[in-house]
Parts: sequence; structure tokens; C-alpha cells
Amino acid sequence: MLRSLPILSNACVRHGLRLGVLLLGLGICQVRAWDASRVMEAAAAMGPRTLAEARALQGVVEKASGQEVLQRLALINDFFNKHIQYGEDIDVWGQIDYWAAPLEALDKGRGDCEDYAIGKYFSLLAAGVPQAQLRMVYVRAMFQGRSQAHMVLAFYEQPSAVPVILDNLIPDIRPASQRPDLTPVFSFNGEGLWSGVGATSAGNPVMRLSQWRDVLNKAKQEGF
Amino acid sequence: MSLMRQVWMLVLGVVVLSLIGGVAVSANSMRQLVQTQLQVKNSDNAAALALAMSQQHGDESLMTLLMSAQFDTGYYESMQWHRADGSLAFERHEEAGHPSEAPAWFVALLPIQAQAGAAQVSNGWNALGSVEVRSHTAYAHDALWHDTLHNGMLQFGVGLLAGLMAVLVLKRVRKPIDAAVEQANAVVQGRFVTVSEAKVPELKPLTQAMNTMVLRMKGLFEAQAGQLQVLQQQTLCDSLTGLSQRKHFLAELESALTRDVGPAHAGLILVRLRDLATLNSTLGHAQVDQLLLTLGRAVKAYPDRVMGCLGGRLNGSDFALWLPAPDVVAETAQALVDVLGSSLVASFSGVNVAVAGVELPRHSAVSNWFGEADAALARAEQGQGISLYCAVSAASERPAQGERVWRAQINEALQQNRLRLQQFPLVDQQGLLVHLECPLQMQLTEGGEFVNGVNWLPLAQRSRLTGEVDLQAVGLALARIGEDGKRRCVNIAPSSLTEGAFIARLRDLVFRSPQSARKLGLELPEVAAMQHFDVLHELSRQLRPLGVLVGLEHADAGLAQVERLFQAELDYVKLDSSVVSGVADDNARLAFLRGMVIMLRSLSLQIYAEGVSDARDVPVLWECGVHGVTGPWATAQHQGA
Repeated sequence: MLRSLPILSNACVRHGLRLGVLLLGLGICQVRAWDASRVMEAAAAMGPRTLAEARALQGVVEKASGQEVLQRLALINDFFNKHIQYGEDIDVWGQIDYWAAPLEALDKGRGDCEDYAIGKYFSLLAAGVPQAQLRMVYVRAMFQGRSQAHMVLAFYEQPSAVPVILDNLIPDIRPASQRPDLTPVFSFNGEGLWSGVGATSAGNPVMRLSQWRDVLNKAKQEGF
Repeated sequence: MSLMRQVWMLVLGVVVLSLIGGVAVSANSMRQLVQTQLQVKNSDNAAALALAMSQQHGDESLMTLLMSAQFDTGYYESMQWHRADGSLAFERHEEAGHPSEAPAWFVALLPIQAQAGAAQVSNGWNALGSVEVRSHTAYAHDALWHDTLHNGMLQFGVGLLAGLMAVLVLKRVRKPIDAAVEQANAVVQGRFVTVSEAKVPELKPLTQAMNTMVLRMKGLFEAQAGQLQVLQQQTLCDSLTGLSQRKHFLAELESALTRDVGPAHAGLILVRLRDLATLNSTLGHAQVDQLLLTLGRAVKAYPDRVMGCLGGRLNGSDFALWLPAPDVVAETAQALVDVLGSSLVASFSGVNVAVAGVELPRHSAVSNWFGEADAALARAEQGQGISLYCAVSAASERPAQGERVWRAQINEALQQNRLRLQQFPLVDQQGLLVHLECPLQMQLTEGGEFVNGVNWLPLAQRSRLTGEVDLQAVGLALARIGEDGKRRCVNIAPSSLTEGAFIARLRDLVFRSPQSARKLGLELPEVAAMQHFDVLHELSRQLRPLGVLVGLEHADAGLAQVERLFQAELDYVKLDSSVVSGVADDNARLAFLRGMVIMLRSLSLQIYAEGVSDARDVPVLWECGVHGVTGPWATAQHQGA
């Protein structure tokens, strides 16, 4: 699956790592702590199958944490592409649009594009990838000859560099330049995002309006 | 602090606290809401701006233009665009800052801290950094301030309404409390009034209890008064006829003859059942008793019906009737003869009754009265059956002047202030002066002698001048009190009470010397309480608040007949010399005096004894619980001291 991955120079990788470490050290970039025991707890509450899935994810995340960054991307990308079957929200969740938190998606075993992206996003954070390097991107995808709204996860080795894309349509990780089928529209991540002030936002209907914010909260509840 | 004030403070505290609390809570929750909304606005606007900027294909000038446009048309404090490498690409900042209408302390008290909204900007796959949008909080503070003011006003209105309701409720509650307190005060002052029952359930038992207590006091008083009357019957009256015994009759007569108020002339009728010893043997004891009873009833009818009239059984066969009015002796004696004639003739035969009547100036000595009457009786005894002889003094013996002359003389004396106050001390057990009794003397003719009220008061009374005279006396007393600061008591004639503006004028007079008023006493004869109870009560109510003492003088057993005595607001009662003289020797009189004192003390009145002359009576009086004595003994005592 790494066959079409662009070869990045070691220097670049090292630089990126250093930058990540630097950002971490400065506390500018907040890396979400992954609370494995809490994730297991949440998964256990959902059922034994989910717990098994979560254990598998835990294994992958632990394995990935020791690897270099591109290796991590590959491991996580593969995990979600394999463990989640594509399904429309209306079929899976009975809603037109539903953003599932990682465990929710694993619990169902099915999900649509943003569920893949979300799962990968949080798992990469758990594996120690800085948030600043990750972006969820709304894209227009040409798939099977027609264009459709789609979402992918982009990894920026450097802020101004061309990102690599973690997608479920084409499971290989490729640089954006090699994905002519995708036209980016808008990107976002958890950076600088106000997620409400603790308990008050949980009961605040205003806060529920944002799908992204909602999923951030749900993931937080699950231990990500 | 008074109960009412405490309740008031409580109400006020609750209202103010709820007002402040309400405003504070609502202001704070409003602040939360505004803050959340501002935060959401920041985030959403940042996202919208980033979305728009991401569509400009990386044209920096277009993007900054977009930011400027949004900044200029919206309420923003700052807008920043940081490139992906962290460098600042564009910034707009409100320099002056929008001045908030809300005062600084309000802003400091309720800070609105909305985090800036942030969103990522990209051009295709290129990250162009992030925008940060921060909205102005001044507008939010303005809204918050106005809302809080409005809210505060509303709450204040509600608080005012609550306060108003509290006033009404408190007023409602207060009325029965005030009534109960007033009643309690009245009881302390010896007035026993009942009040209408409170409607408030908590106070109902209180007013009920107070009313019950007052009624019980009333009952007690009535019982005591009744007992006193029985005691009087038993101790001072003849057991057969119910008329005063000799000793008591003489004491009563002595007192009636010497007091100021009364008619200038009076009459005395003696009735004698002749040959009592013979009748006893011929008719038998029972028949004679019946006979005496008939006689006694005929005599007693007068004192029973006419105030001031005295009747007595002097010994086994002699009855006396003193009439406190001139020119009535002859007809009264005749009426008595007629009554006896019809009743005796029907039942008894061979009974001889002598009736004699005399009329004398009232202030004649007792010995004079009886000398004249005995002489007349001797004349009457010359007849048979029911015989009558009246010795009515001729008109020539009367004062020569007519009523108009008297009136002119009194008026003149009043106008020229030819008046002076005598003073007789009233002392307590320690021999200390309680007050000075101050009868008024008048110089009827210029340069002439100052004469006692006995001489002119009856005439003043007839000319309806007593009010004027009494006001002058009070004025004099107030002036004297102002000089030496000694307590003084002035006599007020009962007839003054009936003069229209007397009480109002008296009040005005007293009101002008508030200092002296506190040492002034006004005393009225017992008759005033019997005849003009309501006016007397009014006088007390008007003058006692100014510190003036009000009392009754010449009080005797008749006091027990004043039904509402316990409601009259009085300070003291002076017992007539007929009640207090001779108590050292006579256990019967002593018993009666004790009863009287007990009754009066239960009304928390001060009790003084009048006309005490015998030093042996004094320790007995103290022992009975009398608070002070006046009369020759007290005068001598005081001068000696």
C-alpha cells in the first residue's frame, strides 16, 4: 500500500519531527492525550465486539507511536480503511448527516467519508501526530465518473508543503498533487477551536449546532 | 427595637435582598448567555471568513480586502490573519475602542470574556494559515447594562408592590396589637377597658384574655363594691332600719356642714317615736320593731333618692333627716307627716310621733343644729298623734343682698383678682409633703375679708360662675407652683363640668404652663363621679396626659355605687372625714375603712384621708394602707416639721 507514497527525504522527515517536538515543547500545539483505559472503558460499555475493535486500535496506535511519521499514517489509515465498511449515514445512523466519533464508527463497523477521516484524525493524534499537521478537508471528489462531496484527512509535513491525503476511496496514501480527482474546498482542524467551557456547553443547545464541535466532544468523552 | 420596627426591617431586608439578588442573578445569567452568543459569533464569523478567503485562490490583496470589508461592516475588536509559518499577514484593530454606555464598575463587575474565533485558511491544498476574529464586547456590555437597568426597574416595582402590601398587612396586624397594648397600658393606669376582639388568630387569644381579665377585674370590683355596701350596712347602719347609726350620722353631718360645696342653707328634720318603753310593753317587741321599721322607711326614702341627703337613727326612738337644700324643710316635714299618718294610722293606734324641722345656714355648728332641732322637737311633742313643728328661719336672717348683687360681687372679685389660695398640707407616712390642698378664698368686697368658699360658692354655683372661679384658682395654683415647685391640688366644682367650654379652657390654661402642670392636681367631689361621670372621664382623658393628677374628694360609701369607677381615669381618692374619723376607737368603722381601701387599692388609686384631727387615728390609717392624710393633724405635723 505504500507503493505510490512519495519518497520524502530523511532530512525533511527529521525536520518535521523536530518541528513537531518543538511545537509540543512550546505547548503551542495541543496534542490530545489519549487515555487508553478510558477508551477501553467506553468501548466495553458498547459491547464486546467494540472492545475487541478498540483493543486492536490500541495495538495499532501503540505500534505506530514508535514508528516514523509516514509509517504511522500508513498504519492508522489502513486500520480504519479495513475496519470500517462504507455506508451512507442514512443507512447506518438513520440520519441524513451524522458525524460519528471513532468508537461509534468502530462499534457500527460502518461509516461514510467523514467517519473515516474523524477516526484517522483522532487516532493519529493519539499516536502523537501534532494537530497542526492534520487537517480535515472538504473536497469535491470525482468518483466513478461523477462528482460528489467528500471529506479526507490531509497531513502537512510542513505548513506550506503539499499534504498527503488519507482517503477511503483510494486507500493508498498519496500526495495531494497525485490526486487530481479531489478538489479541496475548505479545511479545518481542532486548532484554536473553542470547544465550550466544560459542563455548560454540554447542556447548551447552541453548542450542538456544530457537527465538528459535537464530534470533538464525543471523542473527548470516549477518551481521545 | 420595637417588634413592629423589627418586622419592618425584616420586610425591608427581604425585599432589598431579593431585589439585589434577583438583579444580580439575572445579570449574571444574561452575561453567560451574551458571552456564549459572542463566542459562537466569533467562531462562526471566523469560519465564514476563512471559507470566503479560501475561495480567493491565494490572492493576498483580495483576502485582506475581504477581511477589511468584514471588519468595517461588523462589530469587531480585532481581526488577524497569521500565515502558516506563524508570521502576521494582516491585522485590523479598533484603535479607539467603542465607548461603552455601561459604567466602568459594571463592566468590571460583569466581565464578558469571549474567546476569539479561529479558522483555517487554505488555497487548494496549500495551508495559508489561520484567521482569528474577536468581536467587540462593548456592545454586549451595553445590552447587558440596559437589560440589567430595565430588569432592576421591574424588580424595584415588584419590590415596591411587595412593600406596599407589607404596609397594608402590617397595618392590619398592628391595629389589634396597638389596641392590646393600649388596653394593657390602661390596665396599668387603673383603667379597665375592653376592646373589640382581634380578627388575627394569633392575637385573638391575647385580646380575649385581656378582655376576660378586665371583665374579671370588673367583677372583682363589683364584688368588692357590693361587699363594701354590705359592710356599710353591717357596721355603720342600724340593723333594723338601714339608716346610719348615730355616730356615723354625726360624722357625715359634720363633713357635709364643713365642706365648700353645698347649699348656703339646709334643713334638719327630727322624728321621734314617743313613749317607746310604754309601747314596748303594750304592743310587744315585734310590733314596735314593725313600727320603727315603718318610720325608718319613711325617713330613708329621702337619702335613697336625693344625693347629699343624710338620714340616721340617733337612738332607739329618734330619727334624723338632713336636707342639703334651702326652703324644703317645711314641705318635706309635712310630706313625712302625711306618709306616716297614712301608714301608721292604718296599722297602729295610740302611737305618738313628733316631727320637727329647722332650717339653718349650712356652716352652723352641729351643736347649733341639734340645739335648734331639739327645741323644735320639744314644741312638736306638745301635740298628740303625729305632730309637726317647723322652725324655719325668717327671710330677714338671709343675706340681705339679692342674687344679682352677689353675682356682681363675685364677678368683680374675679376681674380684680381678689382671690387667694389657702394651703393645707397632705403628708405621707414619713411626714413628707405629698401635695398642698389649696381651697380658694375670695375678697367679696374691696378691702374686706377673704372668705372661704362656703360663703360664696353656693351663690357662684347658682350664678353659674363656678367655671370661671375654678379656672382662676387653677391659674393661681399654676403660678404658685412655678414659684416654689410644690405640688398643689385645686378643687373643681361639679357644676363647672357642665359648663360648655370648661374642659377646653382648662386644658388651654394648663397647656400654657407645661412645667407646672406636672405638679398640679384637680379634685372633684364624689358627687361629680356620680352625676357627671362622662364629663369627669373626659376631663381626665384630656388633662392626665399633660401630667395633671385628677382625684375625687369627700369620698364615702357612695363611691361603691359608681359603677364604672374602674374605668374612670383617676389618680387618687380622698376619703371623707366621715369615713376616716374615729377609726382608732371603733372597730366597725375600721372594718368599713379597710374594705374601702382594699377596693380602691385594687384600682391602683392613691388613697388619702381627709379631715384627720385625732392623732390616735393616724397610725390606724397607715396600717389600713392609706397613702396620706390631711386635716388639722397633718397641718400641725407639717408646721411642726
